Amino acid sequence: MGRAFHLARFELRRYLAHRSDLAFGIALPVVLFSLMMVALGSDATFRGVMHVADLDGGFLANRILERVEHAGGVAVRRYTQDEFADALERTAISTGFVIPPGFSASVESGAPASIIVKSRGSGSDEGRFVTGIVQGALRAAASEIELRRVAGALAGESANDARLDEAVQRALAGAPTRPPVVVVTESMRVREASQLDRLLAGIVVMFLLFSGTLGARALIEERRTGTLERLMTTRLSAGELFVGKLLAGIGRMVLQSFVLLGLAFAVLGMAGPVVFLQCLVLAIVVAAAVTAIGLVIAAVARTEEQAAFSAVVLTMFMSVFGGTFLPTSGTGWLDVLARFTLNKYATDAFVALFGEAATLADQGAELVILGAVAILGLAAARKMFRVSSSAV
Amino acid sequence: METYLEAEGLTKYFDGVAAVEDVSFVIRRKEIFGLLGPNGAGKTTTIRMLSTVLAPDAGDVCVGGHSVVREGDEVRKRIGICPQELALYPELSAVDNLVFFGRMAGLSGREATARARAVLAGVGLEARGNEVVKKYSGGMQRRVNIGIALMNRPELLFLDEPTVGIDPQSRNHIFETVLALRAEGTTVLYTTHYMEEADRLCDRIGVMDRGRIVAVDTPAELKRQVGDPDQTTLEEVFLHLTGRSLRD
Repeated sequence: MGRAFHLARFELRRYLAHRSDLAFGIALPVVLFSLMMVALGSDATFRGVMHVADLDGGFLANRILERVEHAGGVAVRRYTQDEFADALERTAISTGFVIPPGFSASVESGAPASIIVKSRGSGSDEGRFVTGIVQGALRAAASEIELRRVAGALAGESANDARLDEAVQRALAGAPTRPPVVVVTESMRVREASQLDRLLAGIVVMFLLFSGTLGARALIEERRTGTLERLMTTRLSAGELFVGKLLAGIGRMVLQSFVLLGLAFAVLGMAGPVVFLQCLVLAIVVAAAVTAIGLVIAAVARTEEQAAFSAVVLTMFMSVFGGTFLPTSGTGWLDVLARFTLNKYATDAFVALFGEAATLADQGAELVILGAVAILGLAAARKMFRVSSSAV
Repeated sequence: METYLEAEGLTKYFDGVAAVEDVSFVIRRKEIFGLLGPNGAGKTTTIRMLSTVLAPDAGDVCVGGHSVVREGDEVRKRIGICPQELALYPELSAVDNLVFFGRMAGLSGREATARARAVLAGVGLEARGNEVVKKYSGGMQRRVNIGIALMNRPELLFLDEPTVGIDPQSRNHIFETVLALRAEGTTVLYTTHYMEEADRLCDRIGVMDRGRIVAVDTPAELKRQVGDPDQTTLEEVFLHLTGRSLRD
């Protein structure tokens, strides 16, 4: 097996000598992940926008919008009636609010009034969150109005608006902020996996898959240039050749994972070195499975073009249907399809580790499946391997 | 002279078509044996069988007393292959290439490094061994290609068209290297399309056509079979034996 290790070391040196491979395998995923992080924001707290057409412009409408803005996490963007209709039509917004004319006056006179929520279809998650915040602000504003009404009734006709408002604000400020009975929720200190975590896992797995399957081209290139045939006239056995290639693939992909995961852990503030090491161990198992699939492609394909085509199709299929970027659990047939991809097991295991809720020991099923793919793939590749594709 | 390689009834089919059929010949120890033939004659398939890359469908080859069919690893210990293609890693240095193939041939790291230096000196590249191969000229790359085949000090060296596309100086250097190897005791199987090259280097020549051996003898005897050996060229012998029709 010494020759297999030496072959693997040599392959890694060749990999490091190829700038284009390095750029694709390491620089590209780092750039892609950075772009996604900038686009989504690494802060996991909710931020949304209340799109509103305030056709009332009255005291109460302003008070509600102020409360929404002070609630934190929500910015208020105002529209005219036409702008609002246009934005909704163009799908620039999926959920918006209309404060109808006379809203404030109706409320102050005790007549029923409403704020209209307009949404395209069922709206968006952001729209539903913002609606909840607006409803909270409405309830607070309603309390304030009720208080004003009661205070006004008690003060009678002698009270002026400014003094009444001042008294209400003072009363509100002095009111207990904590209701007499509360529900206290205690949760374990768990960093739940965010959308960004899933994206990171997806990118790591997708690039490992690309790297491993496209690595098949290298073996076919060796067949074309004659180095493979030359190797097989040395004392290197076919078994050693495949083990060496597998080790080289693992080494290459662990290097990629180390860089990408290291960056992500540093930027996202993921838990310490233990989780990082567990992720690297998982990366080794994923890399073994992916490299084995690449070797099967290399054993079957006759040309580099065939290998590249097979690698891209397989990677894209597994990435799209394997839940690389969106969870597939509970999606019916998609969930079933996902079970036939490496990505599902690899991505789910990474996401679980990122979230700190699980350890590598909890990922037994995923590790067994990935390990089995590695072993069976290696055996199949060895069985189907031909030194030469030509009959010259 | 002692027989070093003996091929007996070698046959290989691809998709039901015989690429090599019932080929038998011997190569004597320390001789340079030329294997000539037009394109598609079966030379490369024969060499692949001799060097354990392809398993014959029938027949066997004995190399240094070992069967390529049953004792492949013993045969691989004794042979060195220089294929027609530049079968090396151009993005790495000549030293890296030589050491790598030396390690694959079973040398230790220290042995491989020392042997690589010696081989580079032998092929005239000791001063530029640490440069990446892709920066070399065609002739230099050909010399590295041969050097790799010498790393394990082979008893039998296969040189498959080693002088294609290089300048006269590099070609001459390769001739001198081959002759020096023979003088040191190496047996050589040499294929080429350059007849004057075969005439100059080879002790004996086997001519293949359509998967079969059609003649085996010394260059002088082959010429004598066609005409006056002093007036006849090896190319005339070759055309006489294989015909003038174009081959695919």
